[in-house]
Amino acid sequence: MKAITTKADHVLRPDRPTAVPKWKKKFKKSYFAYLLMLPSVVLTLIFSYLPMPGILVAFQDHNIFAGLWNSPWVGLKHIKEVFQVPLLRDAILNTLMLSVMMIIVSFPAPILLALLINELKNGLFKRGVQTLSYMPHFLSWIAVVGLTYSLLDVDGPINDLKLLLLGADTERTMFLSHQALFVPMLLILSVWKEVGWGTIVFLAAITSIDPSLYEAARIDGANRFQMHRHITLPGLKTTAIIMLIFTLGGLFASNFELVYGMQNPFIDFPVISTVVFSSGIQQGNYSTAAAVGFVEGLVAFTLMITANYIAKKVSRISIF
Amino acid sequence: MNHESASYKVFKVANVTFLSVLVFVMIFPFLNVLALAFNDPLDSQFGGITIYPRVFTLDNFKLLFANEEVIHALWISLARVAAGTTIAVLVQYACAYAFTLKDVAGRGAILIFLIIPMYFNGGLIPTYLIYSELHVSNTFWVYILPVSFSLYNMVIIRSYLYTIPDSLGESARIDGANDWTIMTRIYMPLSMPIIAVMTLWTAVYHWNDWTTTLYYVTNHKLFTMQYILMQILKEGERVSKLMEEALIKGITVVSSGQPHITPQAIRAANIIVTSLPIIILYPFLQRFFVKGVTLGAVKE
Repeated sequence: MKAITTKADHVLRPDRPTAVPKWKKKFKKSYFAYLLMLPSVVLTLIFSYLPMPGILVAFQDHNIFAGLWNSPWVGLKHIKEVFQVPLLRDAILNTLMLSVMMIIVSFPAPILLALLINELKNGLFKRGVQTLSYMPHFLSWIAVVGLTYSLLDVDGPINDLKLLLLGADTERTMFLSHQALFVPMLLILSVWKEVGWGTIVFLAAITSIDPSLYEAARIDGANRFQMHRHITLPGLKTTAIIMLIFTLGGLFASNFELVYGMQNPFIDFPVISTVVFSSGIQQGNYSTAAAVGFVEGLVAFTLMITANYIAKKVSRISIF
Repeated sequence: MNHESASYKVFKVANVTFLSVLVFVMIFPFLNVLALAFNDPLDSQFGGITIYPRVFTLDNFKLLFANEEVIHALWISLARVAAGTTIAVLVQYACAYAFTLKDVAGRGAILIFLIIPMYFNGGLIPTYLIYSELHVSNTFWVYILPVSFSLYNMVIIRSYLYTIPDSLGESARIDGANDWTIMTRIYMPLSMPIIAVMTLWTAVYHWNDWTTTLYYVTNHKLFTMQYILMQILKEGERVSKLMEEALIKGITVVSSGQPHITPQAIRAANIIVTSLPIIILYPFLQRFFVKGVTLGAVKE
C-alpha cells in the first residue's frame, strides 16, 4: 500500500525516515561536478593560497631557520626602506616611467595597425601581413633578446647599415651598452613582439561594425577619413577600453623577462621585478624584497581598480 | 568606393609600402640569425651577413649538440611540454565542464575561490619561500603543477562548452549514459577545437618559459633549452664551457691560431634551436591561436 503523504504531513513530520536532508541530496547530485573541480581547487589552494601569508615576511626580519612564525617582527621597517634606499626608490621611479611610456607607445600601436591592415583588399597580401606580423608573439622573450643581441652586434646588420649610410670608415657602435638607448630599445622590442598579436582583437571588432553605417555615411558625402573618424574609431571604443584595462592591470608588473634579458654591466636601470629577484632570490634579503613586492602589488591593484572605475564612469564598461 | 580620389590612391600606395616594410622588419631579425647560425663563425666576424649564409657550415649546430647538458636540456624541455600540457588541459577541461553542470551547490563560492588569486597573490618571494618549504623547488613538478590550473583558460573552455546544446547530453542520459560517459563520449569529441587551442597555448608557454628555472631550479639536470639560451646570452661561463668542450672533442678546428668558433655563432645556433620548432609549426597552428583569442576576448 502506498503511503499517502500531503504537504502538511511533510511539514508536521520533518523527521520522517524518508526525508533525506536537502544538502545531502544536493551533494549526491553534484558529487561528479565536485570531483571534476577537485584538482583545480587543490592546485589553487596549494600554489596560490598557501604563499599568501608569506607576505608577512615583509613585516619581519626574516630568518629562514626560524621560519615564518618565529622570525622577529619589525613592523613597517622594510616598507619604509622601500622609499628610502636609493636603489629601491630608483626601481620604483624607473618602473613608473617605463609603465607610462609603454602605455603611450604600445596601446595605440595595434589600433593603428589594425586600421591600416583593414584598408587592404582581402587577399594574399593582407593575410601575409597579418600572419607575419604576429609571428614574433610566439617567440620567447629570451629568444627576442637573443635576436636583438645578434642584430645590434658589432658585426651585426645594424652596424653594417650604419657603415653603409655613413661611410666605411665610421666606427662600429656597441649599441647594447648605451644607457640612453636602453629604454627606447625596451619600447621598440615590446611593440615589435606584440603589435601584430594586438591587432587580432581590433580587426575582429572592425568586422563586427554594421556595414550599413558606412553606406549611410557615404550617401551623406563622408570621405574615407571621416568614416573612420566617426564610425570605425567609435566602433572600437568598447574593445579599446577593455584592452586598456587589461594593459593597465598588468603594466606595473614591468616585464621582468625583457628588462632582465637586456640588462648588462653597462646599463643602470633597475626596475621593481629585477630588484625583487636580485635582492631576494640571489642575495637572500627576503624581507626587503618581499616589501618591494608588496608595494608593487598594492600599486598594481590600485591602478587596476582605478582604471576600471574610470572606464565605468566614462563608458559604462567594466571587466568586473 | 567607385570614384577614388587622388589622395586616396596615394594613401593606398603608401599603406602597401609601409606594411611591406613592417613585414620585413618583423621577419628580418629571424632570417638574419638563421643565416648567421649556418655561416662560418670566422667569416661572420667580417660583418655583412644578411639573410643567407655566405660560407655554409653545420659546425655551430654540431658543437651545440655535442654537449651533453644541451641534449639533456632539450629532453627536459620536451618532457615538460608533454607532461605540462596534458595535465593542464585535463585539469582545466574537467573544471570548465563541471561549471557548466546545473544545480551544483556552492558553485558560486567555488568560482570566487578560484577568482581571488587573480587579484591577490603572495608575490615572488613568498611563493619562492613556500616552494622551498614544500620541496617543490628543484623538482620537475615545479614546472608542471603551479601552472596546471588557469582561470582564464577555464573560462574560455566554459564559454565554448555553453555553445554545445544541452539536449545532446540529455538524450544520452535518457539512453542510460552516466555523467562520465556523457562528458567523455559526447562533450569531449565536440570540444576538440577548443581543446586544440588550449593544447597549443599551453605547449608554447611550456616550451618558451625560462623564468621558472631561474627562480626555483638550481639543479643542472633540470635546466631547459630556453634557460641554456639565457645562460649563453648572459653568462660567459656557459659559452666558454661549450667552446672548450668543442675544442677538446675536435669539433672545431683551430686555424691560424684561432679556434673556429665564436660566442656569436653559438648564440645564433641556440636561438634557432629554441625558436625554430615554433616557427615551423606556426603556420599550421596560427589559425587555432587566433580562434582562441577571438573566443576569449570578443564576447557580447
